[in-house]
Amino acid sequence: MICPDVERLIDAYSDDELDAAQATGVKAHVATCPTCHQRVAERAALRRLIRGVPYYAAPSRVRRAVVAIRRPARVTPRRLALAATVLLAVSVGTGAVVRTVRARQAATATLAQDVVASHVRALMGAHLFDVRSSDQHTVKPWFQGKLDFSPPVEDLAGLGFPLVGARVDAVGGRPVAALVYQRRQHTINVFIWPAADTVGALADARSFRGFQVRHWTRNEMALWAVSDLNDLELDQFVRALQP
Amino acid sequence: MPSRVFEEVVLPHLDAAFNYARWLTKSDADAEDVVQDAAVRALRFFSSLRNDDARAWLLTIVRNTWNARFSRVGSADEHMVLDDMKDDRPDGQLDAEALVIQRQTVERVQRAIETLPTDFREVIVLREIEGLSYKEIAAVAGIPIGTVMSRLARARERLLALLGPDLARGGIGDLS
Repeated sequence: MICPDVERLIDAYSDDELDAAQATGVKAHVATCPTCHQRVAERAALRRLIRGVPYYAAPSRVRRAVVAIRRPARVTPRRLALAATVLLAVSVGTGAVVRTVRARQAATATLAQDVVASHVRALMGAHLFDVRSSDQHTVKPWFQGKLDFSPPVEDLAGLGFPLVGARVDAVGGRPVAALVYQRRQHTINVFIWPAADTVGALADARSFRGFQVRHWTRNEMALWAVSDLNDLELDQFVRALQP
Repeated sequence: MPSRVFEEVVLPHLDAAFNYARWLTKSDADAEDVVQDAAVRALRFFSSLRNDDARAWLLTIVRNTWNARFSRVGSADEHMVLDDMKDDRPDGQLDAEALVIQRQTVERVQRAIETLPTDFREVIVLREIEGLSYKEIAAVAGIPIGTVMSRLARARERLLALLGPDLARGGIGDLS
């Protein structure tokens, strides 16, 4: 390839949107051409700058409003009075429960941000693997002596999600196992640590800063999957990892 | 209507919906209106969601809602000259703390994105902040994939021109 060809493809190359043959061609050219190398570097630096701007997360009142729209308010004053009475009676008893649930939701949201931060750190800092292997019988023993628990390790290559490696990472200040899976050009990080409490099959699903996050527990382990993969495929992946 | 399922599908993507609406409208209040209207529409069209990617589906509805509400009324400001994009720090502050520089960089990046024409701004936000693929962006913005590519290229050229000094400070050299 020559510069004008590469110039035309440089954005698609930076976005991982070229097919393998074209990507190889551009990569080879970029390795030898300082000008085109500079263009690729500029785009990577620009991406870092853009990702540094504040993320506009939905305010909680928007969240409440969206939850409320599916319950059209056809409320008569009489029903309202009745509801208020019931609510008063119930709220005395449930205040503590509501607070506990809220605290747990807040803790889950914080953890979700932490796992996304770890995912991004691993991808940007090039420290994605401590051990690079697709063999679950290599990866699982590798964790021995590095963590005080033994994470479940499964290769899902048969389902199109090959295991590519693992590392020890940190989430919320504690050491965790991180398994790395691949789907096309997308990386999936699965973070695992002993669960504080059992929350069930799929306890949390959200998207945050462009990443999909899923959380569930299995055999007294908390699992979090993070990826820029689309919903459908990540859900497929998560189902494959559930019992 | 399986309302429980509606929540499970829409709520995980509400942040993405709001972020997109906020960048489209450049206003918190307008973004809130757009997202709430979009959620009402999403509920109405919910039965039409089959095996599509829910995030792209919701963002498409956000865009259509915004388009119906604000269609191009704000275009006057989009050709604004970028004079105010220049480095506006007084000379005395040039060696201020790294933190201050970083905050000012973030502000300049934010303003640079905001001054892009909407067509450019939305592809940048969908690609760089939300991480959508070209195919997903094409579906959300209702344009061909080739147009996604050319708009991204032109948007980046503009941002690179505006943010050259920040790129240099951001350590562009450490990429090789």
